[in-house]
Amino acid sequence: MHLTEEERAMASGRFGKGIKRSMDLLVKFGQAFGASRMVRVASAHIMPKGPIDLLKEFTEGVENAPTFCTLHPFMSAFDPEKWEGMGIPEAFASQELPAFNERLAIYRRLGIYQTYTCLPMLVGNLPRKGECISWIGSCAQLFVNSLLGARTNRDGAVTNLAVAVTGRAPYIGNFLDENRRAQLLVRVRHMKGGLSYTDLGAIGYYVGEKARDRNIVIDGLPPDLDLSRSLALLAPLPASGAVNLCHIPGVTPEAANVSDVIDESCERISVGKEDVTAMKGLFGGTGPVDLAVFGCPHCTISDLKTLAALLKGKALARNKRLWIGLPYQTYQLGQAMGYTGEIENAGGVITSSCMAAIPDAPFPVSVKAVATNSFKAAHYISRLTNGRVRVYVGELEACIEAVTGGVFRQ
Amino acid sequence: MKLTGRVVNGKNVAAEALVLDRPFSFIGDFDPKTGRLTIKGHPLDGKSLAKKILVCVTGKGGTFAPFTAYEAGRKGNAPVAILCEKMEPILCECALVMDIPILDGFSASPVQVIRSGQMLSVSESGTVSFREND
Repeated sequence: MHLTEEERAMASGRFGKGIKRSMDLLVKFGQAFGASRMVRVASAHIMPKGPIDLLKEFTEGVENAPTFCTLHPFMSAFDPEKWEGMGIPEAFASQELPAFNERLAIYRRLGIYQTYTCLPMLVGNLPRKGECISWIGSCAQLFVNSLLGARTNRDGAVTNLAVAVTGRAPYIGNFLDENRRAQLLVRVRHMKGGLSYTDLGAIGYYVGEKARDRNIVIDGLPPDLDLSRSLALLAPLPASGAVNLCHIPGVTPEAANVSDVIDESCERISVGKEDVTAMKGLFGGTGPVDLAVFGCPHCTISDLKTLAALLKGKALARNKRLWIGLPYQTYQLGQAMGYTGEIENAGGVITSSCMAAIPDAPFPVSVKAVATNSFKAAHYISRLTNGRVRVYVGELEACIEAVTGGVFRQ
Repeated sequence: MKLTGRVVNGKNVAAEALVLDRPFSFIGDFDPKTGRLTIKGHPLDGKSLAKKILVCVTGKGGTFAPFTAYEAGRKGNAPVAILCEKMEPILCECALVMDIPILDGFSASPVQVIRSGQMLSVSESGTVSFREND
């Protein structure tokens, strides 16, 4: 593997222990996966979680991060300012708060942007087509790889940190043209009545499991999918599967046509109404709900507008909760537009944390059932609570009905 | 018996093998606080991985797995080497975080050829030696 003079100096310790440790990991990792060289990355997006000692070890002696670097949400739904209003147990908060403060001090020193969102491309970290980057977060990875044509691998949290600290990544995986073609062609069969938000989520959830970790191309989608509904489709793909690149012909920049990204031998499957119904059935039923959760992935300003209209004049029933996840920068815009007032008057709590509650899922003990419009959130919440919390998936109206005096029906 | 593999982060290590017949993840399959496997329903559930050589098919995903591996290392509950049929990025990253060797590319599958409990010697150049009749 070829290293530049500067990279060799980084690996030798000339720029400090943190860079040496980071570079050592990246070089060995690169060798393991056949990298011919390192590349400079254009940006990074890292996970604000994990052992403090690890963060200190990999950033020791580093005064400024050399990369444009943003932060993923407050994890496990733990928002340092909103946790109490969300009902998260005090015992969990008391162990998380010191860690949060220690991490923040390091991020400040390094000049890492405190975005705390899983969609940093909406608040300032916008990669260009072809840029090599290292981003954590399976939905963000899919978004930038697919919708923007940027190039990130599925780095684990420590490789990702090492890339942010050094500004370098091994030239492997999705960085290479030949690894960006699709190995599975999915044809969406026509479904009468169009595709709702949860229909799209169901398609993503169904396809993810079939695709496993292959790149895919999805044909037959309506041409007018907005940002929010595109995310509904993409987010579940790496939850039920491990997809991180999804071409959509005519929409994504690397696939003007299906033929641009597949070979003759490409496997083909189709998905139809019965598959959508089956996926919804995994999180279906009728019953009481203690908590409604929206914002997995984080809500856009359009989502917030819709929620404000649905909640206007309504109030949560007694002992019911509503969490809405979005970047706090979007909260500020929502405040100016009058949306957040409607939501908070109804009793909703708006937070910049991870609504799938990954990885600790510290739900209040009183929460036995959750309603959400996100298949990704449903997948993780049910698994992370070991089935203790029952999760329903439904459209916004059905979920809101369940916490404002009714029950959930799907 | 000797097996030769491709080695990443080579070191000389000797320890007892723990052989798992499937892909392994440090998150989900392992508790860093105890060093034990947490694979419900599997015969090896509850067995300690601490200071052993993990022999497995390959790794599987999990952004957080390297954090768990790091914790295990700090608590003295980490394995001391990993032998697998096929290297996988997260498993490799975990090995590097724990600063242990990881090997693949053997001419025979280590999962088929090695048995749990056998004492293995792993050289920094990628040779794995053990007595067949242990």
